[in-house]
Amino acid sequence: MDINEIINSPILWVLSGLMVIASVSQAIVFLRNSLKEADRLGIDKPRRVASVRSACITSLGPSLAPVVSVLALIAVIGAPTTWMRLCDVGAARTELGVVSLMADLAGAEVGAESFGLEAFSYSLWGMALNNFGWLILVFLLVHRMNRVVVWMDTKYDPKWIKTLMGAATMGMFGYLLSNQLYTFDATRWVAAAAGGGMMLLLSTAFKKHQRLQELALGLSLLFGMFVTQLVFGQ
Amino acid sequence: MSYDKKVIRNGRITMGLAIIANFIPAIYVGMHYDVMPTLSVILQIWGVVAASYGITWIIQPIAYYPTMGAAGSYIGWLAGSCGDIRMPAAAMAQKVAGVEPGTHEGDVVGTIGVACSVLVSASMITIFVLIGSWIIPLLPESVTNSFSYILPSLFGAIFVDNARKNLKAGILTLAAAMAILFFGSKLGINSGILTLLVVLCGILISRMFFVAARKKSSET
Repeated sequence: MDINEIINSPILWVLSGLMVIASVSQAIVFLRNSLKEADRLGIDKPRRVASVRSACITSLGPSLAPVVSVLALIAVIGAPTTWMRLCDVGAARTELGVVSLMADLAGAEVGAESFGLEAFSYSLWGMALNNFGWLILVFLLVHRMNRVVVWMDTKYDPKWIKTLMGAATMGMFGYLLSNQLYTFDATRWVAAAAGGGMMLLLSTAFKKHQRLQELALGLSLLFGMFVTQLVFGQ
Repeated sequence: MSYDKKVIRNGRITMGLAIIANFIPAIYVGMHYDVMPTLSVILQIWGVVAASYGITWIIQPIAYYPTMGAAGSYIGWLAGSCGDIRMPAAAMAQKVAGVEPGTHEGDVVGTIGVACSVLVSASMITIFVLIGSWIIPLLPESVTNSFSYILPSLFGAIFVDNARKNLKAGILTLAAAMAILFFGSKLGINSGILTLLVVLCGILISRMFFVAARKKSSET
């Protein structure tokens, strides 16, 4: 059976949909609870409707942003998994990062023939275990979070915590980027330079619009891919 | 039952279900196609993702909690995109309803906002995925060929985006990562250990700059 058929199989659509259903029904449950509570608190109907409407409009823009990354993810891990993983915890960049790490572990290469069933299975486990990290922490800690926040603020310098988080992310993507570059394959250097250059340009241009960052990433990704294809095209 | 208690109860139930749903596709593919990783491989996979994202698992939910509140944390962490979609939606909902963030009213209206944003973004993603899965097979070969350059372009762009805020630390981290990977792979060191080494190295380098900056500011 062709790997493309497997990663897009109808059963996988159904099973991946479970997570989407979990997230959407959670949102509906909380929406009902909070609308009821708002009513009880004396927030009248026009104000409730206004808050629903403005939240929907505000979230529309940034929800459009992952349009390019969706295509990239579908090409790599198939549509059902993309659907599930973009509707839950991690953003497209996190998921692609995990897939790349897992392909490495399985001795395969993302987007190449070598990315077969085993690499796909490893990727599914990688994404599940990665998301599990956030989910279990929230599951275990949120109801006692007030104490946790106080504890962290007294124990650690909040400025350092912020730097630490940035540094860990940078180290992680530093690893992923070097993993592409250290074999000195010219196509990858060109792709990385074109993608990086475009990102620098766009993020400077979008400086005041933080929410366009995800779109900037998608456009840089496309630019890097097409420039490389133009230079080395077969 | 009070509102706050209801939030915790519903939050934990839905989170628990999501945790189960989270593993179902991986278990299905593993068993159905006979490619289930052995326990030692699963532990290894966990090690790699923990080395890469472990710090973020712990810090992010704690750091966002004061702004997101309990209900916002449950919805926001399950649906993701806390910073760029959930928080703006909550803030906007509070603004038009004329309630103060940090109060009980603010919390309730913020939750209305976060919940609505999940309905919007889940619908958008669903539409994109359906259109995308229909379009990709129709793309010409020159375009599908360029998909093999996705990862270097993506990681180049993300790294630039991260390093832009602290250029010196960024360049040093990348240089260290290149050296670790180049020599590490020659020595045949496991990729999970290399990941952890690079992440630790990045933290060390940022710590250096952080301490230097603090020293400088305390001197002046």
